[in-house]
Amino acid sequence: MKWLVMLAGVALAALSALAASPTPGTPDAGVASDGGLSPTVRILIQTVPAVDRTVVSWGGKLLGVLRQRKPLIVERPRDSGPLDIVLRAQGYVPVHTRAYTFTDGKLYVRLTPVGEKKSLFGYRTEIPDAGAEAGSPLSPRADGGPPPN
Amino acid sequence: MPPLSAGRRVLLLAGGTEQAIDIEQAVAAGYTIVDLSDDWTPYIFAEHQAPDGRVLPNRYRRVFIGLANDKLDEDGEPLPAGSQNYLELYGIPPSLSVLRARFIEDGERSCDAPAPAQPPATKKAGDAAILAAAEHRLACEGLLGKDSRHKRGTMDDGLRQAIKRFQQKHMIYEGHGLQLRTREALGRPLVDNDHRAFARVLRERVVSAAGVVEDGSVEGTKSGAPTYVTVAGDRQAVRNLADELTDAALKQMGLTTPADTLAFFKRHPPSDFTRMRVAVKLPLLPEYYGPMMDIQFVIDRGDIWYDLPFDDKGTYAPQGRKKYPQFVLYVKHRGQRIPLARWRSTIGGWRAEQASDGYEYFRYKGSDVGPRVIRNVVAGPVWIAPASTPIRGLVKVKRVRNKREPVVNYDELGPGYLSAYGLVAGYLVTPGQAGRPDFDNGIRIHGSSEYLSMYSANGYSHGCHRLPNHLAIRLYSFVLKHRTVRLIGDQPADFARQFLKGDDAFEIRIPSRGYAFYLDPPLPVEVLEGDIKGAVKSPILTYVPKPGTRYPGPPPAAPNSPEARAGGVPDPVDTKKGAATPNEPEEKP
Repeated sequence: MKWLVMLAGVALAALSALAASPTPGTPDAGVASDGGLSPTVRILIQTVPAVDRTVVSWGGKLLGVLRQRKPLIVERPRDSGPLDIVLRAQGYVPVHTRAYTFTDGKLYVRLTPVGEKKSLFGYRTEIPDAGAEAGSPLSPRADGGPPPN
Repeated sequence: MPPLSAGRRVLLLAGGTEQAIDIEQAVAAGYTIVDLSDDWTPYIFAEHQAPDGRVLPNRYRRVFIGLANDKLDEDGEPLPAGSQNYLELYGIPPSLSVLRARFIEDGERSCDAPAPAQPPATKKAGDAAILAAAEHRLACEGLLGKDSRHKRGTMDDGLRQAIKRFQQKHMIYEGHGLQLRTREALGRPLVDNDHRAFARVLRERVVSAAGVVEDGSVEGTKSGAPTYVTVAGDRQAVRNLADELTDAALKQMGLTTPADTLAFFKRHPPSDFTRMRVAVKLPLLPEYYGPMMDIQFVIDRGDIWYDLPFDDKGTYAPQGRKKYPQFVLYVKHRGQRIPLARWRSTIGGWRAEQASDGYEYFRYKGSDVGPRVIRNVVAGPVWIAPASTPIRGLVKVKRVRNKREPVVNYDELGPGYLSAYGLVAGYLVTPGQAGRPDFDNGIRIHGSSEYLSMYSANGYSHGCHRLPNHLAIRLYSFVLKHRTVRLIGDQPADFARQFLKGDDAFEIRIPSRGYAFYLDPPLPVEVLEGDIKGAVKSPILTYVPKPGTRYPGPPPAAPNSPEARAGGVPDPVDTKKGAATPNEPEEKP
């Protein structure tokens, strides 16, 4: 499983490199006609692999639908805070991710088939005949407790 | 004479009058310019220019200003109208406009609890009266509402949350109960607390303008302040410049009482604080001050326990400490090592870590000992959580466009005041020898909002040395102003990693590692070993199963590199070139 995770990591890193943001301080693709930065940024969203239909939602708002290789392009006010979005496609694990508005950007999101869920980090190895976990005798607030007056 | 433009105008408050003067004339006359504008940030978040004159933008600057002005939340998204952040306790003081609104509102009302008809006859009745007075005050200040889930007369979660907000508002470092300082603040008139808040806000601006750090923390209760010998041969005590300079500014501005300050805010509408700078004459700084100071950090780890924190039956075994970790800032001057600040800090201890089998184990996360240096200081640092980070802490529920959604917990990652690295971090490295790159063991001296980890008996970090955010900001602003610094600016990261929680995948996306400053020469740091207590005399390096937890098999091998002992991964990048941060995960600080 480990090599699968590593392979996925390499692929993701390569895709991330494709999605590299322009160097801050240099004009990005959103340069306005007067030479300054445009008031909006454009964020391109695509899935890897491209699938038939991926619904992209931003909280209660439907942001758009990705169809095959046609990416979704979202325009937002520049530096207006991040977008926490969810991508849902039939037969794939839903992905919660984030897009930023500091500069123009490209977001290539890897989709994992439900049947390959165990390739994702955090998938728990099953315990045969597992009992309830008793937890730790330590306080869960190991950093807690009041300071001296 | 033509009116001064906003860029040149500073306010001189003296003898009850206010006069606008030219900034250059003020500086030439020996005044220090203190910025009271609403878009002020500490030096580390100020707009800095590259040598070619380009402004290198800091991604967190806008958020810092938005938080200070109650305009944005921690993600940089609009705060609902009428909401308050109260983040002074976490290193983000309110803006003058926010303070003004507080003063104006509080100047027209009272939240004093009605005096009891007669003194309580018993201790129980006395405690009930204290609780009732606290409920009244917290409700009056809008911190304990109908939706607080509080039952009158009980110290429940609803009341503790209200007390926590009150402590955040008034910068009180206490547990969330009715302890001494909290009770004192609850008993003061509203504008008295507001005036204290104003003095604290002014202190940060004065300290920033003067570039000082001494805050009286080196003074012993019996021994008083440490001393040094001046050029003239006199013995001088280390001064508390933060208090001394702030008091001088308050006096010159005529704002020493709540009534004076309320009147000042009534004279000035909010729009005045869009751009307001005042000129004050501050006392001369000690002779050891200069543009380049010989500064050194020392960390004393205090009492150390390597033993397991539970016995062979799995019962918690307390590991008492008499001496806690301390951070000391020294300056070398004329052959003397003069302590300027001494603060409580943290070292690593036993922490939970996520292993490759998906289960959590204990692991000792130690703090390195010996000489180190800091080359890179990062404002708004971002911590890239490694795979060993317990997943339960990496997801939170947040309201996104009016819908509650589970999202990646970026509070922990940063940039932000809640980040594992706090608002600013210095990266400790072992200098590379014979042309080899530095060795980065993942240990930082950084800000933190987890102040209880610094002030409680059971507080530990994952190896880093934490400081309260506001002190870390003062410290590194002081360092950057008194050392040779090369500005690096924003460090793009393009990091992405997915993990599974429940049936959903969560993707961590990090576009930047923060805003870096490169110290050249580097800043020396010495970490003292401390006193090893207990039977075990060196750290246990393997995973240790948590008592009472069932596992699928024996523990997987823990990452077996030297850096894993303390946290962090080696830095393959030559940090001497100033490429501070590779896009690799780091152990939790």
